Amino acid sequence: MNMRDSGCRTCRFVLWSSLILLLLISIAAAIRFLPDRAVTYDDPVEHFKYGSTGGERNMGFPFWLFQVLPEVCPDLLPGKGYQSLGFIFEPGRDLPVGMSKRHHLGIDRVFLNCAVCHAATVRTSANAKPMLVVGMPANQLDLMRFQKFVQACVNDRRFTPSQVVPRIAEKAGGLSLLDRWVIYPLGIHLMRDGVAGLLGRMRFIHMQDEWGPGRVDTFNSAKAIFGTAFEQLPKEELIGVSDFPAIWNQAKKQGMQLHWDGNNSRVEERNLSAAFGTGATPKLIDHAAIARIEAWIGSAKPPAFERFYSIDRALAERGAPIYAQHCAACHGRNGSDFSGEYVGKVTPIAVIGTDRGRLDSYTAQLAQNQGMLYSADPERRFRHFRKTWGYANAPLDGLWLRAPYLHNGSVPSLWDLLQPTAQRPVKFYRGNEVYDPKRMGFVADQPNSEGRALFAFDTRIAGNGNAGHEGPGYGTDLAEADKRALLEYLKTF
Amino acid sequence: MWMLCRCPPWIRNSLLLGLVLIVMLALIGWDRLLHDHGPSEFGNPDDRFKYGSIGAEHDAGIPYWIFYVLPRVFPEKLPKPGIGYASFGMVWEEGRELPMGFTKRRIGFDRVGNNCATCHVASYRKQADETPTLVLTGPNHTLDLEAFFLFLIDCAKDPRFNADTLMTEIDLAANLDFIDRLIYRYLIIPLTRKKLLEREAQFAWIYRHDFPEWGRGRDDAMNLPKYFLINWPMDNTFGPTDFASIWNLKKYQAGTRLNFSGDTHDVYSVVIDSTLGVMGAEPKDKTEFQGHIDWLVNYLSNKPVPKYPFAIDVVAAARGKSVFTAHCAGCHASARTGTVMPLAEIGTDRGRMDTWGKQEAIAGNKAVSDLGIERKGLVEAPLTGYLVQFLDGIWLRAPYLHNGSVPTLADLLKPPAQRPQVFWRGYDVYDPQQIGFVTQGDEAERAGTRFDTRLRGNGNQGHDFGTVLSEADKSVLLAYLKTL
Repeated sequence: MNMRDSGCRTCRFVLWSSLILLLLISIAAAIRFLPDRAVTYDDPVEHFKYGSTGGERNMGFPFWLFQVLPEVCPDLLPGKGYQSLGFIFEPGRDLPVGMSKRHHLGIDRVFLNCAVCHAATVRTSANAKPMLVVGMPANQLDLMRFQKFVQACVNDRRFTPSQVVPRIAEKAGGLSLLDRWVIYPLGIHLMRDGVAGLLGRMRFIHMQDEWGPGRVDTFNSAKAIFGTAFEQLPKEELIGVSDFPAIWNQAKKQGMQLHWDGNNSRVEERNLSAAFGTGATPKLIDHAAIARIEAWIGSAKPPAFERFYSIDRALAERGAPIYAQHCAACHGRNGSDFSGEYVGKVTPIAVIGTDRGRLDSYTAQLAQNQGMLYSADPERRFRHFRKTWGYANAPLDGLWLRAPYLHNGSVPSLWDLLQPTAQRPVKFYRGNEVYDPKRMGFVADQPNSEGRALFAFDTRIAGNGNAGHEGPGYGTDLAEADKRALLEYLKTF
Repeated sequence: MWMLCRCPPWIRNSLLLGLVLIVMLALIGWDRLLHDHGPSEFGNPDDRFKYGSIGAEHDAGIPYWIFYVLPRVFPEKLPKPGIGYASFGMVWEEGRELPMGFTKRRIGFDRVGNNCATCHVASYRKQADETPTLVLTGPNHTLDLEAFFLFLIDCAKDPRFNADTLMTEIDLAANLDFIDRLIYRYLIIPLTRKKLLEREAQFAWIYRHDFPEWGRGRDDAMNLPKYFLINWPMDNTFGPTDFASIWNLKKYQAGTRLNFSGDTHDVYSVVIDSTLGVMGAEPKDKTEFQGHIDWLVNYLSNKPVPKYPFAIDVVAAARGKSVFTAHCAGCHASARTGTVMPLAEIGTDRGRMDTWGKQEAIAGNKAVSDLGIERKGLVEAPLTGYLVQFLDGIWLRAPYLHNGSVPTLADLLKPPAQRPQVFWRGYDVYDPQQIGFVTQGDEAERAGTRFDTRLRGNGNQGHDFGTVLSEADKSVLLAYLKTL
C-alpha cells in the first residue's frame, strides 16, 4: 500500500514537473519567436529613412547576417563595406539609410525601404561635407551590384554556419547557445533559400548591361512578381533601366500620369507598386507605415538651390520669359506651380524622341496582370495602370538635384540637355556627390571621387541613348545667352 | 432515446457536445464549401455580358487562388512571349481584375468561371501605338483557347502541383484564414488537380500529333460537345472554326439556321447549347439559368453591328454596291442567306462538316432534354455543307471562311492558289487596305500562332466566287464591304 502510494507520488511529481517545464519552455519560446514589432520613429523623416514598410517579414535578412556579409565576401564588393555600393551610413547608425529593422520570428530582420532609392548625399563643393538630402534620387546607390553581391555571397562556399556564426558572435559580443547552434545556422539556410527564390525571379538582371548607380529597372522587376519567363520575352522589353525619381510634392502630382512613361495616374497606386520593391507584398504590407510616408512625401519640399549657391537674379529674370515660352506648357509655370496644359501628360515617343527602352519595357500584358495583383485587398487593387506610347511631362520641382537628366539619366547636366544630341557627352561618369552649379549637374568628367571609382556611363549602349528632347520647343536651338538665362532661371526651381 | 436517458450523465453530455460539434462543423463546411453567394450584379448590360456569372463556377470553375498562382508557379508552360493569362491572348481591359469573359463568384470559396465574352469579344487597333478598341459580341481572334485548356491540364500533371508549392505562392498574395487554408490544402488543391487530370482523357483528340493546333481565334466547335456533352468515343474528325460574331442575332428569322454547318435551328437553341458548354454540367439553378438565357437572347439579338473605324471612299463604295448586287447578293443578301450551301458548291474545307451529324444531333438533343431544358435544338439530319453567311460587320470577322484560313477579304477575292499559304493569326492591328488583320511581319509572328493552310482542317480552298472579277471591280467591292 505504502509502496503504491509513494510510486504514485513520484510519477505524479514527474508528470507535473514535466508539464510545468513544457509550459515554461512554451512561454519562453513564445516570448522569443512570436513578437512582430518594427523599429518605429516619431519624426516622419527618420521614419522615411529607417522605418518599416512591412517587407522584412517576407524577405528580411537576419540583421547579423546582413552585417557580416561584407566580411564574409569582401572580394565580391568593389570596396570596403556596403558604402562601396553607394549605401549611405549616418554617424552612429548600424544600418544604412533606406534600411529598416523588425523583430520577427525570433530575430531582428532588416530589409530595404523607400529611402534606399530616394535619398542621396550631396557635396556643394569638392571641399564641402556630404549632406543628406531625402526625397532625391539615390544617385550613388548601385542596386544591381547590391543584388548581385547578395546573390553571389549567399551562394559562396564561405556562406556556411561554421564560417559565418563565429563572425556574428564576435560582432554581436557573444551569442546564446540557441542562437549559435539553432537560430543562425537555420537562418543561413533560410537566407540562401530566400535569396535564391527572390533573385531567381529577378534573374533578368543577368541578361542586362550594368545599370550603374542611381538607376533601376522598375517594370521588369514588376514582371518578376508574376514569375515571368524572361527568356521568352522579346529582347527590347528587357532594356527598361531608368533613373530613380525624386518624390517631393507628391500631393500636387495626384492625377498626373506618373512614372517615366506615365503609366499610372494615382499616387497611392504608384506608392503601393513601388513598395513591392521593399518586399511589401499585399499580405505583409504595413499600410499604417506607408500612410505616414505618404503623408510626409505629400508635402515634402526639395532644398532650394539658393541655400547653397547664389543666383544672378537679373539673369534669371531674363530667363523667365524664355521658360514661359518654351517650357512651361509641358513642365509647369515654375518649380512650385505645376499648372500647364501638358503637365503630367504623355508626349508620344515620336515627338519626344528619347530612348524608347524604358517605354517598351512596360507592356500592355503587364498592365493587364497588375489589375489582378492586389486582388486580396479589393479597396486597394490597382485600377489605373495603363500601357502608354510615350514619356510623361514631369513637373520640375527640385530640378537641380535631379541630375543626370532624361528618364534614363543619359545627360549629365541641364547645360548638356540644352545642347543638341551631337554635342551631349557620349560617355561620362555617374555617382559623384560633388555638385557643379554652373552646368547644373553632378561632376561628370572625373573617373574617381575620394578614391572611389565612379561608373562610366556609355550612351551608346542599348537603353542609354541620350537623343531626344531636342529641337525647336526644347531649347536646344536657343542662342547661347538665352540658354545661360534659362539655366539661371531653372536654379530657382 | 430511452437508451440515452438511462446512460450516465457524462455520456449523455459528451454525446450532446459531440452532436453540437458535428452540427457546427457541418455549418462551417457548408459555408466554406457550398454556400453560393450568387452572381455579382452589374449596373449595365455590357458589364454583365463581360463579367457576369452564368453559373459556370459550379462545375467548370477553378478555385480563385489556384487560378491566381498557376501562371506564377508554371510560367514556362505559358505560350510565349507573355506574362500571366494575358499571354493566351485573352481580351483584358487594363485595370480589371480578370480578363474579359472571366467571372468570379463565391460558392463556398471564390471561384473563377467563364461566360460568353471569353470567346465573343473582338479587339482591334488602328495602329500599333494605341490601346485596343474592344467590340463586345465580336469574334475573339486573339484568344488561344486550346493553349489555355492544355495549360491547366499540364499544370495538374506537373509534380509541383501540390499543396506545399501552391500554398507557398498563395500565402504571398492571399489573406486566407485558418479554415480556408486547411480547406485549400487538404480539399481544394487535391480535388482541383483530380478534376483537371480527368479532363485529359476527354481532351485526347487535341493531343493528337496528326491534328494541327487550333491556334488563336478558333475552337473545334462540334468535337467539344461530342466529347463533353454526349461523351462519344474519339473518332478521326477535326474541324476547328473561327469564334463567331454574335451581334445582331435578330437577323436569324424563321427558315434560317445557325452555326457554320447550319447545325442548329434557332438563336435560342444556340445560346442554350453554348452556355451549357461553358458550364460543363447541368445548371444548378434552373430559374437562374433560364433567366440568364432569356437575357442573353435579348441582348445578343439587339446588339448593334460595329461600324468600320476608318474612312470609307463613298464613291467607290457606291460603285461597289452594284458589283455586290451582281455577284454576291444572290447568296449573301437573299433568301439563301442563313441556309446551307452544299459542299460541292461552296468547295471549302470539309473538316468542320464531318465532325457532326444526325446521330450526334439526336444524342445531343436527348442530353439537353434530359436536363429538363426545352428547345428546338440541333438539326437531326446529315450535314451537307456550310451556311451562307450574313455579312453584317464582315470587316471585323477576319480571318475568313469558317476555318479562318484566308487572312483578309482581299485575299478571299483571289483564286485559292494565290491566297497566302502560311500566315500568323492573333495580332490585333488592322489592315484597312486588305480588310483584315496584319498577318505577316515580326509583330504578327510574335503575337500570333502560325497558320498553315496545308494542315488538316485548315484548307483555304473554295468560295471561288468573285475571284475572277477585274481588279477595279474588286477594289470597289471591297470599299462597299466596309459599309456592311
